[in-house]
Amino acid sequence: MAGKVIPIPTLNDGPRDFDRLFSIWKQVNNDFEDVCFDFSKCRFLRPNAVAFLGGLARLIEYRAGIVVFDWDTFRNSAVMVNICQNGFAGNFGYHASGWDGNSIPYRETTFLDMNGIMDYLTYNWIGKGWVNVSERLRDAIAGRMWEIYNNAFEHSGTKIGVFSCGQYFKTSNELVLSVVDFGQGIPNKIRAFLRHQTGEDRASKLAGAYCLKWAFTSGYSTCIDGVARGLGLDLLKEFIRVNQGKMEVYSNDGYAIIDRDGDRYFNTGFVFDGTIMHITLRRDERFYIFQDETKRA
Amino acid sequence: MILSIKNQIGPRCIIMEDGQRIYEIIHGPLKKGETVTLDFEGVRQFASPFFNFAIGQLLKDIPEVDLRRLLQIENINETGNLVVERVIENAAKYHGELDYRKIVDDMLEQQAKESL
Repeated sequence: MAGKVIPIPTLNDGPRDFDRLFSIWKQVNNDFEDVCFDFSKCRFLRPNAVAFLGGLARLIEYRAGIVVFDWDTFRNSAVMVNICQNGFAGNFGYHASGWDGNSIPYRETTFLDMNGIMDYLTYNWIGKGWVNVSERLRDAIAGRMWEIYNNAFEHSGTKIGVFSCGQYFKTSNELVLSVVDFGQGIPNKIRAFLRHQTGEDRASKLAGAYCLKWAFTSGYSTCIDGVARGLGLDLLKEFIRVNQGKMEVYSNDGYAIIDRDGDRYFNTGFVFDGTIMHITLRRDERFYIFQDETKRA
Repeated sequence: MILSIKNQIGPRCIIMEDGQRIYEIIHGPLKKGETVTLDFEGVRQFASPFFNFAIGQLLKDIPEVDLRRLLQIENINETGNLVVERVIENAAKYHGELDYRKIVDDMLEQQAKESL
């Protein structure tokens, strides 16, 4: 296949790793472009990279390009084992079925499939046994995480669906879930909404950081069909903070981080057409409580 | 009227379409001043889109004080109850309308200050 060869480096989940992912995205942003991903320099792929690359491959296909993951270039067997285990390789033509391990399966969700998504969150992620939580808490956490998928489908306008992957990291005792879409992005959606509501173009000047802050404010929503909304991200934010987890959001030119120190919003040096929600929970049952439980205690 | 939510939609109160179904069943009776009991026995998972549509939108034409008197919620766990309360609180505020021009002005002003 003649096409652009894109080398995939080692990809973790620090800010520079997300920069690298967006740089890869930028290189394959044309219609009818055939792409071959080369993994010869890749020593590790965190779940955010797996979800992102899977979504990017579907985006290339949607734009009538051909995608090849060059399996022969995998020099690091741990990376190969990991993407076989989480089902990513099998999804893209490699002869391997996923199996249970420390991975939360790579998942492509093309519509808001409530039971499929809730089963994935309830039994494959939080309820897998890595975090010792009660059934009530397991169900409640899955309900909070649902809000991410709901937001992606309700607001992003994604044409190719939503991509997710996760992992439990034994050494750091962390449970990670990454959810990616290649839709219009949260800041762009908010700017368009506010332009429409005010009838003025000034909202276009709002920076990504401010748009994300708006999105995470309780009661603010871009839906105006007479039904109050705008609680989903706020409920999720509250849960993450109370439980000393971490949520990072990259969307267009904005970046948000929510953790036990509160929420902070920044402008990024790049613009990515889409949204990544990256959640990290700690595997320590002492942390898993809800606001009502803190009030009772 | 007593409505078993599990019988109507199953053990997950998650999506807005299911919330809308419940709304359509209970809105008329509540509007007429009848008491409605929603029984959540057997429901395990909750998310805000369901409650926005099932309960939040009732506040469009039923005052909060009447809604709290007429609508009884039974056998819901604390997680679900927390979401219900937040939805009612949010919907009561929402119907006061937002001044989007002021919101944009405030954000741009803040943005300008921080970029100095």
